[in-house]
Amino acid sequence: MSLLQTTDLVKQFGGLTAVDGVSVGIDRGTVQAIIGPNGAGKTTFINCVSGLLDPTSGTVEFDGEDITGMPPHETVQQGISKSFQTASIFPTMTVEENVQIAAFGAEHGSFRFNFLKKRSDYNAVQDRTERMLRSVELWEDRNVQAQSLPYGDKRRLEIAIALASEPELLFMDEPTAGMSPDETRQTVDLIEELREELGLTIVLVEHDMEVIFRVADKITVLHRGAIIANAAPEQIRGDEQVQEAYLGGAEI
Amino acid sequence: MSTETEGEGGSVGATGLTDSDAVLMIASAVALFSLPWVLVDGFGIVAEMLDFSIGGYVGLPSLILIYGIVVIGYNLLLGYTGLLSFGHAAFFGTGAYVAGVVSQSVGSPIVMVLAGIAVATLIAWPIGWVSIRRTGVYFAVITLTFGQMLYFWALGPGSWLTNGDNGFSEVGTGPILGTFELDSAVFPNIGFLQSYTYEYVFIAILALLALWIANRILKSPYGLIFEALGQNQQRVSFVGLNVQRYKLMAFIISAVFAGAGGALFIMHENYVHPNTAYYWIQSGDFVIMTILGGAGSLVGPVFGAFIFEYVANVLSGLSLPVIGAIGSLWRIVLGAVFVVIVWTFPKGVYPGVRDFLVRRGARDALDRLSDRVRNRGGESE
Repeated sequence: MSLLQTTDLVKQFGGLTAVDGVSVGIDRGTVQAIIGPNGAGKTTFINCVSGLLDPTSGTVEFDGEDITGMPPHETVQQGISKSFQTASIFPTMTVEENVQIAAFGAEHGSFRFNFLKKRSDYNAVQDRTERMLRSVELWEDRNVQAQSLPYGDKRRLEIAIALASEPELLFMDEPTAGMSPDETRQTVDLIEELREELGLTIVLVEHDMEVIFRVADKITVLHRGAIIANAAPEQIRGDEQVQEAYLGGAEI
Repeated sequence: MSTETEGEGGSVGATGLTDSDAVLMIASAVALFSLPWVLVDGFGIVAEMLDFSIGGYVGLPSLILIYGIVVIGYNLLLGYTGLLSFGHAAFFGTGAYVAGVVSQSVGSPIVMVLAGIAVATLIAWPIGWVSIRRTGVYFAVITLTFGQMLYFWALGPGSWLTNGDNGFSEVGTGPILGTFELDSAVFPNIGFLQSYTYEYVFIAILALLALWIANRILKSPYGLIFEALGQNQQRVSFVGLNVQRYKLMAFIISAVFAGAGGALFIMHENYVHPNTAYYWIQSGDFVIMTILGGAGSLVGPVFGAFIFEYVANVLSGLSLPVIGAIGSLWRIVLGAVFVVIVWTFPKGVYPGVRDFLVRRGARDALDRLSDRVRNRGGESE
């Protein structure tokens, strides 16, 4: 059974149908890429699943449970996490604090009305923060203000934030956008590590075809809000409809 | 951008120094203990030398700390969570009226404060619940509206309780713990400690408690989340935290402090009028004090309350050569002070002065270091 399953998901903004009846299943432990030209509805689709937007109709099931229309903080508690297109961090807080917040998010039940207990007394949170920062190799920079990190590090910090809530499914919205070739390579390595070591299921929106063909197990192609292909990379490469819609007929 | 980073970098040393809770509490206790002497006697001596009445009077230190308590809490909302409420007089005034009404049957100051806090918290819940659903200007306007609703309620339909426009004056504050009269001096036989009344001691202890609580909140997970909310709400919800819940908590916590301040206010003044309790200008004053002193620093707003009340109560009594008595023109003076301070210390008086000192300290250290390096260079040559 799929970890995430959407059924006839539709999102309309006034007269515009941004997501048009998308039914897709994402298997546990796989990396699934979503591609499509600008305005194809990739980000809207992710937002409908993660709770930032309410879908107009259709359902979203996660791990067998209906999560349609749940607000973001609840979908995160269910095990869905997200890294944003632009590094979404807490700019004037330290790198460590940035990840700490997420680690507390995962422990949200443990301090309901405990206003006076010190942060440093939550050992599990401290441990998790350190582990996440080490996994993205930012532990050495933990006392640096997040806004003064180089761009690639900001993106990696954001991935650490997303991971600290210990998700089963991670959405990554263009994780390599704006990165140098070096940073892109590091990020691709990181994605592969995450899947192998943590068994994460990853949904990737990406424009860089090289990245996609290296990491994706399956590719979903959206065009005008609808799925026009959903198959393994080799098949997508040869799909004429995809080439017509997305690549303007060019060979990949 | 670069100056911002520089300032933050500079403050790292300062936080390292004041990181220990004990140091903070002891320093604050010393400051609160010396405040009446400095303000009343110390300034008084200077005033006599200059022949200029700039000394404080006996009740002023209490008044400063009352507003100090309010803005310590208000700052958790404005300075950390980034929510600009223009309606905190609602909780201040409620604390005052409730304490006043309670004092008619139970005169214990402790009971009065607890009652004021309880009812202020109770009304903060629904007001906060509605207000935090909007952000920015809309949040400010909604809170302003709630404050004004209570103001007109106190003037009109609520006058059976508040005595409307005549003001509430039947305050029956008793002695603390049944023994210590608020107005009497703690050391009646020591001349230079005449300004230390039991009222001041009581309020100073509560102010210390307020600082301690605010400090612990800031060091708890809540503090981290409040600060995070001030920077990036969307990310907070995407780490699994319910944004509305934590904003509501920040709102209610700040109302607790405002309620306590209101209860102390009526104890101190023995009188409260809708204008000093609920009027929107009162809410605005909390904003000014907080920004003046330093929003986003724990003790900063107390300095703001000091400057504000000093201008309002002491400088307003001055008489200047050309314009004559300042009197009710004190808000113009305050405005000038505000402009100068925001200009020179955009982050507020306390963070501004602290960063300045730290930076100067760092520069001195660098100078010494480079001297040493230069000397060593000289030796080797």
